[in-house]
Amino acid sequence: MADAIALIDANNFYASCEQALDPALLGRPVVVLSNNDGCVVSRSSEARQLGIAMGKPYFQIASQLARHGVVVRSSNYALYGDMSQRLMSSLEPYVTELEVYSIDEAFARLPRPRHSDLNRWASALRSRVRHNLGLPIAIGLAPSKVLAKLANHVAKADSHHAGVFDLGATADPTPWLEQTPVEEVWGVGRQLSRWCRLRGIANARQLRDMASGELRAKAGVVGVRLQLELQGLSCLPLEEAPAAKRETCVSRSFSQPISTETELRQAVASYVVRAAEKLRRQGQRTGRITVFARTSPFAPGFYSQAASTVLPLASNDTAVLLQAALRLVPGLFRPHKRFAKAGVLLQELQPEQQLQHHLLAPLTLEHQARREALMQRIDGLNRRYGRGCVQWGACGLEPAWAMRRERLSRAATTRFSDLPTAWAR
Amino acid sequence: MGSLRPERQPLRLPLAGASVAAGFPSPADDYIEVGLDLNELLIRHPSSTFFLRVSGDSMLDAGIQHGDLLVVDRSLEARPGLIVVAVLDGAFTLKRLVRHRGRLRLEAANSAYPPLELHQCGDVQIWGVAIHVIHPLGRHG
Repeated sequence: MADAIALIDANNFYASCEQALDPALLGRPVVVLSNNDGCVVSRSSEARQLGIAMGKPYFQIASQLARHGVVVRSSNYALYGDMSQRLMSSLEPYVTELEVYSIDEAFARLPRPRHSDLNRWASALRSRVRHNLGLPIAIGLAPSKVLAKLANHVAKADSHHAGVFDLGATADPTPWLEQTPVEEVWGVGRQLSRWCRLRGIANARQLRDMASGELRAKAGVVGVRLQLELQGLSCLPLEEAPAAKRETCVSRSFSQPISTETELRQAVASYVVRAAEKLRRQGQRTGRITVFARTSPFAPGFYSQAASTVLPLASNDTAVLLQAALRLVPGLFRPHKRFAKAGVLLQELQPEQQLQHHLLAPLTLEHQARREALMQRIDGLNRRYGRGCVQWGACGLEPAWAMRRERLSRAATTRFSDLPTAWAR
Repeated sequence: MGSLRPERQPLRLPLAGASVAAGFPSPADDYIEVGLDLNELLIRHPSSTFFLRVSGDSMLDAGIQHGDLLVVDRSLEARPGLIVVAVLDGAFTLKRLVRHRGRLRLEAANSAYPPLELHQCGDVQIWGVAIHVIHPLGRHG
């Protein structure tokens, strides 16, 4: 018997994490806001039932939220990242293969038993995760990734499935394909779905059954695979180890526009610091740095500029990267422009071990080892006492443009100073 | 530098062995093992283990003092006799789960605090089981 593919994801992941570590939020409506406290990006089931809409700007619905007593939180990535790792490592023992697809979802492969469906297996896993982590999850099962995604959708949409649905155990999956709009099929982009609609293909069943030659002409081998997956033939393998990153980017919108060169330097510097930290965590060095900045595309006089430099020797030393990146800032800056966003892109990444030491290298090996130890020490302190514990002077102290996170909960699982309280009273 | 994430970067303390400046290697070097990891001792299920900070003195007789660090495993089943973290009025509350005259109740480990009968206090959820307490011994270092 062929293996089953599962798509396992957490419901309202960010809001659920907030509830998992804060007992005052259990059973209460909670929403989480995007960067800079912009829009609602996650709603607890209680908030959903109140009719709070997803994606709404916070300032528009602030009074509605207050009226209903909804708890509002800024995005707490330290908490979500930690809970995500806990979630993924608690799924691993119960499947043969796991592909972590995003912060809150994973594809899994497991053997399909000969004489029964997998609904019981999935329900048990679901209650275990609920009990051990306090996170609600949904599980869709099918013979292929595309169908597993669809089954997961059914599991969540239909309350009588209680978060679990094994499409692979149904005699004929056609009715479920029929009720799935073509836009909601995993892998169907906006262009392909418009093309489908023009041809009268409105749902997943029709996409599955259309002439494959026509689909191949439009979408090539990707389209053919999609159709085979809808027919229940697995042709998208699970990717266990993500490929090494070839570039890494840190960019953010400012909480308020920047119009001085000093502030732009500080912003670029803080993104470089973050990017260098990421590189070291990935065990990589960069050979090329690009810095970019732009004004708001919605304001008149839109301006956007990028500048790039090649490092003489690939590096992940924050001081080296800062020096190179900050030299580019004067070329980006224009007086009287109100900058809304800036970023740093690191390219030509290579593994740390591969470093070619050449004759013109600015550092001796010994000096370099000392620099590496220093970086490790800084990363360690920041991990332990919170990011920003050790700061680089170039970033400025508490800048006005920094990400707004006024309703941030504590780093309850990653920082000793932020642990939840167990009352002995 | 020890990490807060137990499963990722264990703190290694050397168990044995000595380095000799020159000449003969230490005869003990052949017997060096990997080193002791406190996380290994204290944490059986890393993904479901959480740390909490104790506030209050109601568990004194169980050896749990104000300010102590509590290691809580959410994957364990709460059985009578175990010290548990319960959710009571929207807060984590530390008690011992006890079967008393056929009924479950939450008891403090300090006679100044009365027990809570579970059937009388409505909605109580057991959040996790406390498995270790880490208590610093006065001022040192």
